[in-house]
Amino acid sequence: MSAALDIPAPPKEETPFQRFAREFADSKLAVLGLVIVLLVAVLAIAAPWIAPQNPYDLAQLDIMDGRLPPGSVSADGLTFWLGTDDQGRDMLSGIIYGLRISLSVGVGSAVIAGVIGSALGLIAAYAGGKIETAIMRLVDLQLSFPSILVALMILAFLGKGVANVMLALVIVEWARYARTARSAALVERRREYIEAAECLALPRWRVLFRHLLPNCMPPLIVIGTIQIARAITLEATLSFLGLGVPITEPSLGLLIANGYQYMLSGKYWISFYPGIALLVTIVAINLVGDHLRDVLNPRLQR
Amino acid sequence: MVVRYQAAMRGAVVAGCLVGAAAMNGAAAQTLTMASSAPITSVDPHYHTFTPNASLDAHLFDSLLDMDAQSRPVAALAESWKLVDERTWELKLRQGVKFHNGAAFTAEDVAYTLDRVPRVPNSPGSFAIYTKPIVGVEIVDPHTIRLRTAGIYPLVPIDLTQVAIIPHGLGKDPATEDFNSGKNAIGTGPFRFVSYKPGDRVEMDRFDGYWGKKPYWQHVSFRIIPNDGARTAALLSGDIGFIEAVPTTDAARLRTDKRVHLAETVSLRIIFLTLDQSRDGPTPFITGPNGEKLDRNPLKDHRVREALSIAINRPAIVERVMEGAAIPAGQFLPPGSYSYAPDLPPPAYDAARAKKLLAEAGFPNGFRITLHGPNDRYVNDAKIIQSIGQMWTRIGVQTSVEGITWSNYIARANKQEFSAYLLGWGSSSGEASNPLRSLVATFDAAKGRGAVNRGRYSNPQLDALIDKAVTTADDAAREKVLQQATKLAMDDVAFIPLHNQKNIWGMRSDLTYIARADEQSRAQDVRPVQ
Repeated sequence: MSAALDIPAPPKEETPFQRFAREFADSKLAVLGLVIVLLVAVLAIAAPWIAPQNPYDLAQLDIMDGRLPPGSVSADGLTFWLGTDDQGRDMLSGIIYGLRISLSVGVGSAVIAGVIGSALGLIAAYAGGKIETAIMRLVDLQLSFPSILVALMILAFLGKGVANVMLALVIVEWARYARTARSAALVERRREYIEAAECLALPRWRVLFRHLLPNCMPPLIVIGTIQIARAITLEATLSFLGLGVPITEPSLGLLIANGYQYMLSGKYWISFYPGIALLVTIVAINLVGDHLRDVLNPRLQR
Repeated sequence: MVVRYQAAMRGAVVAGCLVGAAAMNGAAAQTLTMASSAPITSVDPHYHTFTPNASLDAHLFDSLLDMDAQSRPVAALAESWKLVDERTWELKLRQGVKFHNGAAFTAEDVAYTLDRVPRVPNSPGSFAIYTKPIVGVEIVDPHTIRLRTAGIYPLVPIDLTQVAIIPHGLGKDPATEDFNSGKNAIGTGPFRFVSYKPGDRVEMDRFDGYWGKKPYWQHVSFRIIPNDGARTAALLSGDIGFIEAVPTTDAARLRTDKRVHLAETVSLRIIFLTLDQSRDGPTPFITGPNGEKLDRNPLKDHRVREALSIAINRPAIVERVMEGAAIPAGQFLPPGSYSYAPDLPPPAYDAARAKKLLAEAGFPNGFRITLHGPNDRYVNDAKIIQSIGQMWTRIGVQTSVEGITWSNYIARANKQEFSAYLLGWGSSSGEASNPLRSLVATFDAAKGRGAVNRGRYSNPQLDALIDKAVTTADDAAREKVLQQATKLAMDDVAFIPLHNQKNIWGMRSDLTYIARADEQSRAQDVRPVQ
């Protein structure tokens, strides 16, 4: 019979990742954000090969090229497409290198804070009792201080430098991961699979990190992307206030601060373009993060 | 009904605004709102030798002598002064001068002031340096006083320009806090104290019993706005009529703005680099060209110091970084000052010779150095050190640059923690003995010499010349010795002079100001355009 031919082909089994990718692609804005994030990441990683100038090498700068408007050409034939700052630093190169600092500080501090915070949050939820109380009160204490204030105090004490900024951001940010990880883990640990794992007498660390952690990941990923954007903003703020990176190695925040002094004298490009670069990067990361939250949220299952 | 009510309200509001505006115009015509660029540390005129304080004090108090706009001493509370013998000065005091509390000014107030100055507690910068040379005070009559010095000391009149006279009626050891509260803030100046809000403002009213030229303003609001952008913006918006320290970044634009008018002059402030001379062995921030430790301090070698000096393109810094608001310097004082050495131009930029000098000194491949500087004290400080970093790197001295906030920076500089660092010095006396004694004379706390010689440069020959200068009574002969000493210090590169800043004031276009070399902002010198 030909009946067999009428049976529709079984729908192809969608892998979880394919489903995730399909749902993510639903939002054109989020895809655009992702494209921008990837582009910025490539720029930042390939900075030494892309940037027309090494803006951190004082020997390559000449103050006689200072404050040139966009499109000017230097004495030795280099075109400054986005103009120069007061030291004769090519703004385009400065921005590309600045993105490098911003992204590495942002991603680096978010990952480190994420690892520390999530681990503490999981331990708090799993262990309960006094350990939970101790960790969570510490989290409450940390979150009750404005992060900028804590970061300022840490940097005033430690001094400037990229490593110190990262450390300050980790200290400021870990508590958010801890809180999120704990709340996710509290829900998950009452599920049957955890009970099953415990009945098998698996070691506690194994239950914690092999069974509990993977199932708590979605909210942590969402927090992570948002925290990257937050860390970048915070780094820019600290540099703007003169407490972040050294003056000869400006990040986006310091470039904006340098140009800010020229705002009243019509030399807009010194702070305008780094500002745009910072804005676009953060908006793109937030678009991706927001949409990730929707996609990974089981309650919003469409 | 509602409509009529609203109309009535509108009428009332408009009327109210009109009345308000009229009242404001009346007061505004006689009120000057001015902005200082740094917070004053006290209203007590003997508390802290600090330019913002001196600015405020010039409104409330008078000294025996005053400095004119070019920092030459002129008569104030003393009408005349002369040497009666080598070590005794006689001053004739002005008659009919009244303090704000109505008391008459006499020689007793001078003696009282000179006695109080060295005993102000917790002073972060004592005025005793100005009164220390005076060892004896003799009141001849109520309007004649004689001051005796231990040795020959020709600078008494200049030093006295810095000492504000307070009335002896304040009693024994008046407290600094009582000046801040206004209780003791009594002088003979053109304005009287009304109120002081630390970090924000001082309000003053015209003192109608003032002996000198009557100020135009009935009321002066002395505001403190440290943020450069905010100060300029306040001037442009009309909130403030007169601002000091116009940022160089804005000066070019303001010059073309019809709403405002700028007054500028070259200041007595020299911006310079200090080089560590305190160590013969390795200095903390210099290493070999590949980061290896050195066994000696290259900065002790005269050729290295000279190379670092001529590697700096001063005109480029003045033009590009300072945007014209400075003049390149080769010595302490700007041209035209007493004791300026005319045969000492700013060192010419010569990178090739700098490289040659380094090679001769044993550093053909240069070395690595960190140049330190403040980032919130002098005009464009952090930008200047970055530019110098560029220039030094080009002659093979690989330079890192670090800008630090002032309070932290100066504490470390005072402990000789740096190798090369940027500083500034305003020669309040307007002549070279002040910077010679303070900046390059051998450090000696007991004798009060080399007080801010942070690099610890020391040259006995120079010390001898400085001693000779300050004990030479004849002005012309003293000038010669001072020029000689200046030349010696500069030829030996005791420090690296960069530039003299220009002081720039901005004001509404209907006002004028006589720009002062000493950076002071004085409301009595702000007048409407005639």
